[in-house]
Amino acid sequence: MTAGDAARTLTRRGVRVSVVALLGLAGVYVLALGYTPIEARQGVAQKIFYLHVPAAWSSLLAFSLVGITSALYLWLQDPRLDRFAAASAEVGVAFSAVMLTTGPIWAKPIWGTWWTWDARLTLTLFLFFLFIGYLALRASVHDPAERARFSAVVGILGMLLVPFIHLSVYLFRTLHPQPVVLKPSAPSLPPEMLRTLLISTLVFTLLYVGLVTLRYGLSLAEEARDEAADAAR
Amino acid sequence: MLPAEPPQNGGYMVAAYIVAPVILVGYLVSLVGRVRKAMGGR
Repeated sequence: MTAGDAARTLTRRGVRVSVVALLGLAGVYVLALGYTPIEARQGVAQKIFYLHVPAAWSSLLAFSLVGITSALYLWLQDPRLDRFAAASAEVGVAFSAVMLTTGPIWAKPIWGTWWTWDARLTLTLFLFFLFIGYLALRASVHDPAERARFSAVVGILGMLLVPFIHLSVYLFRTLHPQPVVLKPSAPSLPPEMLRTLLISTLVFTLLYVGLVTLRYGLSLAEEARDEAADAAR
Repeated sequence: MLPAEPPQNGGYMVAAYIVAPVILVGYLVSLVGRVRKAMGGR
């Protein structure tokens, strides 16, 4: 199979999985609006939680996998690992954009302000900018081996922020709510809310898989195009 | 003590439920466009 064929197969698969996940997202909307109860203190705005938390999960998953595959790249020098890291970083930035827009939209009616510079929010914004920098670095270095090596180091540094972000609500005084699922004790949510949250998390994870597959296929397609252009010279 | 009625803030939920798919679908469409361009516009 040529790189062009592999790119075509992967991009088609990525589009199919992404479309299925987006249909799943429509199902999450139905569950969130019709099945889960309205929270008494926060009102309907609490339902933003079913988008914000899974988007945060997907972005932190994406950035963690960037770090792991980057470390493996530095060890094994396999270009597939670098391609995956690049794909996961870009998709992670898209999920971060969802997290960083839905968060303030929830915060305004609940906290009375769009934004506050507390540890969780500031670290999350910093991680977003760090991976924007990662993508800018990739775009500015043209030698593939150098690009992979430099960006792997940034990817590993970005991953190191992920556990701090998760633990920041315990380590610092913060307005941000504490985890309701990923914590040592049992989840502290009514069953309808927990079910909807878990289904939404699955849907966002599936969307992550679809988008990364598509983005990986795009890298292959660009490499095949560049190789064909070099051969024609 | 719980409030007698939940606060009326549905507009914020509607805004978030519009913004999230706009970002995600927009990114998917941009990826498909980039793939088409890389494959020679097919």
